[in-house]
Amino acid sequence: MAAGDGGQVMSVRRGPRPAAERLRGLLVMLPWLAERGRVLIDEMASQFDLSVDELVGDLTLAALCGLPPFQDELIDVYFDDDYVCCDVPRVFTRPLQLTAIEGFQVLVSARMAMQIPGADRGGALGRALDKLRAVLGDDGVIVDDEPPPATAVITEAIRRCERLHIGYWTQGNARSERDITPYVLFTDRGNWYVKGDDHRSGEERIFRIDRIDMCERMGIFDDPREVKVPESDEWFLDDDLPVATIEVDRTGAWVVERYPFRRAEQRGEGWSVDLTVATREWLAELMLRLGPTARVVSPPELADVGTEAARRLLAVYEADGSDAS
Amino acid sequence: MADSLERMTNLLALLLSSNRGVTLADIRNDLADFYGDGSDETVRAMFERDKRKLRDIGVPIESEVLGGGDAGRTRYTVDRRRFELADLDLEPDERAALELAVSAARLSNANLGLLKLGGMRGASMVFANIPDLPSLPVLREATARSAVVRFRYRDLDRVLHPYVLLLREGFWYVIGFDETRGERRTYRVDRIEGDVVMGEASAFERPADFDVRTAFPADARLLGDEPETTATVLVSTLRHGHERDLGSVVERRPDGSLVVEVPCANRDAFRSWLLGWGVDAEVLGPPDVRAEVVEWLRAMAGRS
Repeated sequence: MAAGDGGQVMSVRRGPRPAAERLRGLLVMLPWLAERGRVLIDEMASQFDLSVDELVGDLTLAALCGLPPFQDELIDVYFDDDYVCCDVPRVFTRPLQLTAIEGFQVLVSARMAMQIPGADRGGALGRALDKLRAVLGDDGVIVDDEPPPATAVITEAIRRCERLHIGYWTQGNARSERDITPYVLFTDRGNWYVKGDDHRSGEERIFRIDRIDMCERMGIFDDPREVKVPESDEWFLDDDLPVATIEVDRTGAWVVERYPFRRAEQRGEGWSVDLTVATREWLAELMLRLGPTARVVSPPELADVGTEAARRLLAVYEADGSDAS
Repeated sequence: MADSLERMTNLLALLLSSNRGVTLADIRNDLADFYGDGSDETVRAMFERDKRKLRDIGVPIESEVLGGGDAGRTRYTVDRRRFELADLDLEPDERAALELAVSAARLSNANLGLLKLGGMRGASMVFANIPDLPSLPVLREATARSAVVRFRYRDLDRVLHPYVLLLREGFWYVIGFDETRGERRTYRVDRIEGDVVMGEASAFERPADFDVRTAFPADARLLGDEPETTATVLVSTLRHGHERDLGSVVERRPDGSLVVEVPCANRDAFRSWLLGWGVDAEVLGPPDVRAEVVEWLRAMAGRS
């Protein structure tokens, strides 16, 4: 039985936290702390998304609780330098049931991790998944996000901070070779990407892995570096790129689901969407796929991109003669 | 505020530690500091409020009206088996693998689940941005428990036996048997309108021969209502140097261009795929498929 309604305990929130929410947090913290006995306060606060003051406040209050008839059932918390130590009575040492949403997300995370290069499918993760399924029920969740073959070499290079010499096809279908130091690998909307230092431009860049056609280890090792992983809906927001406003009817509504947008506003059954335009070619192809009912509202210099692309392509068909009007 | 947290924690501890349950009179007696003072009405109102809040955070409090000498009194119990997580007996390496998985997926509720499993968030160098939709947990639960789900999709009410949830190319799909239509259907979860309502568990059986790999075509161009057909396409310039997504090559021309055969049962998906190639791909046949594309382009070019 899933407890709760999938409410999120540890969302980032400011202002007074209701007692029920604090209790729910305590019910997760106490078994966790009981298992460890002694933990750095800072580390525990960050694990539970609380400030140190909030954590200390909640645990101090918990220490006031206990059952009068049974003295050994008191929660015993003390702070020792930077550490928090805790003796938790038996009643609070078992963790709560996973809620429906927690169970789902843990399973999906594990299923996704099975796809990640180097995952030991028959190993620890597979066994953990089997145990979870025994508790949560046969999950019926399938994650099909197989990374491209180059991912294996890239993952290994990330581990060693090793430079790679890669051949890369840009959005505009031009090939170039460059040296990169990869730092993180991520998947978003079914595509796999690597983020790292591009030594040609001297900047941090993101590369789509299925566009890498050559990938060689260089034997040059750089220093490890913390690289921020972009959130979904955030990483494509390159301020240097132009933004186009596009209007679509219901047949073009898929554009909102398929592409990250800067703004999207429902207009009747259609949408008005602001999209980042990586290249003119990309926009032309998008407009071709959206068809006659879609149009670019702004900027003016992009308004005719779709019409022009349709005319060019129509010329290809009409050159064959069979479709000439 | 501090008082009510303390009071609720003590109430929960009392409920959990009592094997046979407690009545409000027991509570007033054992937790006299919190429930001792005040009129019966005030205390009962306070207790009811605390009980509701505990239920809200997932504590399964059951009540039973007593008979005999205690007639009219209500006894409250918490079923620990429903309240507590079953012991998974995770080995250290299994927990570490889950920690890595959860760090990679960065889903906030998965983090909380991990903490309940005794784990800690760690650092990962591989990350997955997984689409998170409100109806996914209930669909998963319904799938796991063989419960029928009801939802609205494209302005119609659907009644579905969910067999599997699939994440593919960044989209979640639920695949199952649609009761009203009497056939197997696939729905995109992000297109479900409003809430998903789950019925009783064990309401259907997944057919023994159900296999997701065949139930869900790998190619969106095959997901069509029209009879399965194949289009012939001339591709003049390869994208990104590879032949991925090209279907089967039937001819390699001396100028480097390719003639390929691709499924087009789903005309929308086919056209979308074709036009994604811009001027580098031209559909050669069958004639009706080619005519549709030409008509589409003419409408766009303002020459229809």
